[in-house]
Amino acid sequence: MAFINLKNKIIQVKIVYYGPGRGGKTTNLEYIYRKFHQRIHSEMVTVKTHGDRTLFFDFLPFDIGVINGYQIKIQLYTVPGQVKYNATRRLVLRGVDGIVFVADAMAVRREKNIQALKNLQENLASYKKNLNTIPWVVQYNKMDLVEQGIPVMAVELLEHDINREFKRPAFPASAVKGTNVVATLKKIISLTVASIRKELL
Amino acid sequence: MADSSKPDPLSTALDNRLDELFREDEPTPAAPAAGKAKTSPLSELKKIVLSIDWEITSEALDGFSEQVRLLKEVYQGDKVILVFLQVLGSLGQYIQSSRSKVHPSTFNVLNSVFARLDEIVSTPKMPPAVRRKLLQAEMDAYQALRTKITQRRAAEPAAARAAPSGTPVRTPASTGGPVTQEMLARAVAELKGFIRTEIDALRQLVTSAARRD
Repeated sequence: MAFINLKNKIIQVKIVYYGPGRGGKTTNLEYIYRKFHQRIHSEMVTVKTHGDRTLFFDFLPFDIGVINGYQIKIQLYTVPGQVKYNATRRLVLRGVDGIVFVADAMAVRREKNIQALKNLQENLASYKKNLNTIPWVVQYNKMDLVEQGIPVMAVELLEHDINREFKRPAFPASAVKGTNVVATLKKIISLTVASIRKELL
Repeated sequence: MADSSKPDPLSTALDNRLDELFREDEPTPAAPAAGKAKTSPLSELKKIVLSIDWEITSEALDGFSEQVRLLKEVYQGDKVILVFLQVLGSLGQYIQSSRSKVHPSTFNVLNSVFARLDEIVSTPKMPPAVRRKLLQAEMDAYQALRTKITQRRAAEPAAARAAPSGTPVRTPASTGGPVTQEMLARAVAELKGFIRTEIDALRQLVTSAARRD
């Protein structure tokens, strides 16, 4: 559930970019930051912790202003995709309101996508959440690699693997080029805010 | 889910705001100065370090070596950074030669060394004493890892030690006996125990380091 301050009329929305390692989660945030940092007046933060689990994840907070009397603050997070960092992924998912599942369209990454989705389901379950109820969208990233002759899965196959059960909004994308990065972001914000509102009513 | 709900004033206002905020009618500017993640000369190396954590592939390891080599050229006048890069290069060579047999602490040391290097590179005004302190801490961790690797090698059976680097660990099947479920379960249990011990040791190390700071 989002952080909601009814007295000050502030809604804080947490959106997590989830997916296999090297799938382009950070590249999504970097594109958003690079393209809009002057408009959203924000800084992208790369958080590093040291010790027995050295982790990287990214955080990009910004305000979208007052909508119907409520100030809406968005927080974008990425999770580390590496298998060994599951504890961090679970931690980042705490209090999540919406998810962008960034799948890697490269053919060789097919299994990794499926594993990452399964891992997401398991980690959501630990917070008594599931993909049938939480707002989420899918992004099929790296579709542009086909231009370089790299084998890329067809959207139909990706849909079959990731989305056939859920039928969520899906976006073929290229985070490097910015293709559909913004469309993905806008969609997840819309869905998440609508869902929070529904819970509030 | 609210996906199928009819547009209402809030949704419309929100969509309008998002359209306004994220309109793409301007060319994408170059990475801003504040975008450390994008501007860092280590950004490519960072991706490779993370990818090695995910999966040890020849492609990633080759890329790692190449990046370390390039960065050595870039920072040839900076001794502290060069030592960091040498440590990273050594770790890369060890991972390359050991692959699946790599000591589990290696990735922690690799990530930690990289993180410290990144910290130094991204802080040009860092006092030399602080740089040296960071380097010393990582060198200590690297030496500790080397000791662990040596001890583990000494404890390994001669047959396993004899396995050429870069090849999978020999299983009993390859020496004549069948691999049973029980053997596998025992091996997994041993591995879990070993990892647990390593993590506990590292936690203690970090805690004591934090206290020292």
